[in-house]
Amino acid sequence: MKPAPRRKRPFQRRKVCVFCADSSMKINYKDTKTLSHFITERGKILPRRISGNCAKHQRELTAAIKRARNIALMPFSVLST
Amino acid sequence: MRRYETIFITHPEVSEEELSELQGKINSILTSYKGELIKLDDWGIRKLTYEIRKNSRGRFFLMDYAAGTDLIREMERNLRLHDRVLRFQTVKVDDQVTPDSLKALKEAVGAEKVKTPERIEPPAEAKVPVETPKEGGEKE
Repeated sequence: MKPAPRRKRPFQRRKVCVFCADSSMKINYKDTKTLSHFITERGKILPRRISGNCAKHQRELTAAIKRARNIALMPFSVLST
Repeated sequence: MRRYETIFITHPEVSEEELSELQGKINSILTSYKGELIKLDDWGIRKLTYEIRKNSRGRFFLMDYAAGTDLIREMERNLRLHDRVLRFQTVKVDDQVTPDSLKALKEAVGAEKVKTPERIEPPAEAKVPVETPKEGGEKE
């Protein structure tokens, strides 16, 4: 059996890393307001392919989110209701 | 010396006595290990995003200081043993701190402290001019 032909994804504009675009934005683990843009409703870290961050900033971001989780500023998981 | 930042969360119903005792302990560690405190912030009682030891709230403190590695070990050991401290986390902020840069940092913190009351004051000052014309009017 032949595999079903893959559907072509519509062309998407390549997103630019927000931290590269705006150098005044700093990644800090205490700044939960900024970090909260990069987690899902369930508290998971958004993947790079969705957030559009560059590798460098994504790395910093995940470290910051994990630090924030450690001191209960951000959730490890949010139960869906 | 390096610059570190420690956030520690205490029990929300911690008494002032216990706090001053804890602070005294921190200060004695800082002096005996030749550390320099830059600032100690009290964030107040905040909601925790998950329960820690059945507590859904905690009192947050942010401590910013310059220290060596042996101080950190002693500080964390003491925080771990303290039963009113729910959680702590130390992060290295800067690799190299010289006495000069330390002085500048302390001054910056001091300036911030002066600024913040000013920021709070303006609304009070804004009220005063409203009142003064009335007084002036009465005098006339």
